[in-house]
Amino acid sequence: MREVTATNGAAIQVEGLRYAYGDLEAVRGIDFDVQPGEILGFLGPNGAGKSTTIKMLTGQLTPKAGVARVLGIDVSTDDPELQARIGVCFEEKNLYLNMSGKENLEFFASLFGIKDPDAEGVLRRVGLADRAKDRVKTYSKGMRQRMMISRAFINKPDVLFLDEPTDGLDPVTSAAIRKTIREEADRGAAVLLTTHDMFEADELSDRVAFINEGEIVALDTAENLKLKYGTRSVKVRLREGDSVRVETLPLDGDGSSAKLAELAASPDLLTIHTEEATLEQIFIQLTGRGLEG
Amino acid sequence: MSRPISRPAIIGALLKKELTAYSRDFIYLGLTLVVLIMFPVLFHILPDSVDETITIAVSPPVEVLVADARDAFIAMGATEEQLAQLDELDLTEAEEGLLLVEFEDKEQMARVVEGTLEAWETEAGDLVLSDTEAGDEKPKDAERVNLDIGIAFPASFIADVAASKSGVSVTVYSDAHVPAEIQGAMRSFVRELAYQFAGRELPVDFPEEEAVVLGQDRLGDQVTLRERMRPMILFMILLMETFSMASLISTEVLQRTVTAVLVTPAKVGDFLAAKTIFGTFMSMSQALIMLALIGGLTAQNWSLVLVVLLMGAIMFTGVALFVGSAGKDFMGQLFYAMLFTVPLLIPTFSVLLPGSVASWVRVLPSYPIVDVLVGSMVYGATWAESWGSLAYAAVWLVVLYVAGLMALKRKVETL
Repeated sequence: MREVTATNGAAIQVEGLRYAYGDLEAVRGIDFDVQPGEILGFLGPNGAGKSTTIKMLTGQLTPKAGVARVLGIDVSTDDPELQARIGVCFEEKNLYLNMSGKENLEFFASLFGIKDPDAEGVLRRVGLADRAKDRVKTYSKGMRQRMMISRAFINKPDVLFLDEPTDGLDPVTSAAIRKTIREEADRGAAVLLTTHDMFEADELSDRVAFINEGEIVALDTAENLKLKYGTRSVKVRLREGDSVRVETLPLDGDGSSAKLAELAASPDLLTIHTEEATLEQIFIQLTGRGLEG
Repeated sequence: MSRPISRPAIIGALLKKELTAYSRDFIYLGLTLVVLIMFPVLFHILPDSVDETITIAVSPPVEVLVADARDAFIAMGATEEQLAQLDELDLTEAEEGLLLVEFEDKEQMARVVEGTLEAWETEAGDLVLSDTEAGDEKPKDAERVNLDIGIAFPASFIADVAASKSGVSVTVYSDAHVPAEIQGAMRSFVRELAYQFAGRELPVDFPEEEAVVLGQDRLGDQVTLRERMRPMILFMILLMETFSMASLISTEVLQRTVTAVLVTPAKVGDFLAAKTIFGTFMSMSQALIMLALIGGLTAQNWSLVLVVLLMGAIMFTGVALFVGSAGKDFMGQLFYAMLFTVPLLIPTFSVLLPGSVASWVRVLPSYPIVDVLVGSMVYGATWAESWGSLAYAAVWLVVLYVAGLMALKRKVETL
């Protein structure tokens, strides 16, 4: 890995970042950072400002206000060094359909000045080695998504921006893509991942930022968010005649331990399960809206 | 590993990709091949000479008319000198560039003019008629004689006219597509003959006529249709390439692959430079191939022709940049392509239909390109004679190219 020159060692450092499409303010002064080797999950519904943030950080949009540095480079300076060290996976599958997977990767590698790129090796990582010479227009949706991921990896980037990388994919393909993303982070790349899939954010992210209507409403590890905003509880199921009675006991409440002990000793006890809040429940609690909105 | 990459290297990589995309698209590739084959074939089919002779059919043959008139002239007491003049009668003296084809039977002549009977001239100069519809075979080593006008004289025409008989009737046959003014000219020709045979002067005093040919007098050296088509074909090549280029740009914009390119070290300027170079290269290379196939470059005009073709190629690339960025989908792109290319095509009609060009046609951006191409390739115009049109073309080139560049730049930056 090359040296990261941000003041606090962060690969991505954002302070007071703003962007507006005309009168519509899409991003309203957000602050966050991403360390090398860290995956930050940007969790929010459609239109929350996730993609606009990525567009600013990758130089596609110029921020209206605030400062954003990627690898110590101010994103508004249009420095080609920035683009040389980042990898981007777009939500839209913008591949050259009349070129093969290998040709797509070789073309993009040539734009980074990479001689003799290991296109087949990269395709092998995402399970596309056997289709390397086929034109992308013959690929399935899942294969095109894996192709998008492999394109983002072709220059061994120090920072990866992944916009909804598993959106609409089957569980097996999603799991395979998550595995390769984790490998990139383990290599030392900082990863900014946008998603509205709370399961993905929970499983893959080292930290999660909740973004809603252009603002970050919470940012912490998934565990801390659950501890901070969620309620730990136990769900107890008891036989009651011919039916089943369910009782939910908060673990942090007064007297809950005694009540739990009483129920656990009951001869009608069927099951006891611990329950913790999901990220989606916390998101709804914080914003009053769901992630699919 | 990646390393710092120069702008020329990035543009080179983009050009390589453009070439791959172009060669993979069977529509563009097919269109290019069809054009490169179809235009030269069409060019070589077109006549490479202009026949300045008017061929008309007459019946009966002149010698029959003369033989019949001879007896009448003797009876009228004609002198030996007058009889000798009659024997040397040449109907074609009445009109310059007139060639007569003589028929014994006026019904056959009428069928030839109508087109239901074919007339062929053998190498020996004999006229052979064949009815191919009835199964007659085409005569060997014979050339088809096209006759659109036929004049059927009565056998006693000369004698009757000379004797000032009234009610002499001559029938002029003409094919349906012969213009009315040609039919009228033939009727005048018959009247003139009648006066000539009657030994009278026409009852008018003709004014002194002086024909002044402005510009190069091309009598006997007319511009053939083939020569006229040469600059038009080259212009069409440039114009058709606009469609292909606009389509390539549109595809890149609509599929947003340009966005993926612009998050690499490639900048908008590199993208635009690559499109310009590729579009100009494709247009110019096809125009040069066409020039090789149909000819047209001479020691005098080559530099002027190549410069004006290059200007046209850049101008139409500018149009392609604009059209490619304007359409929101294939139909939209097609609409904008037609909107721009149809008006640009209009000046080429002045090549096919020479004459005065309407002033609004001269304003069109493509007019100076067509004007210089035609001038240099057909009429041998020099650099000195073409500066005005070249300067005008240069102004339009800058306007269209900058407009196309700005439109595409704005489009890719706002995707």
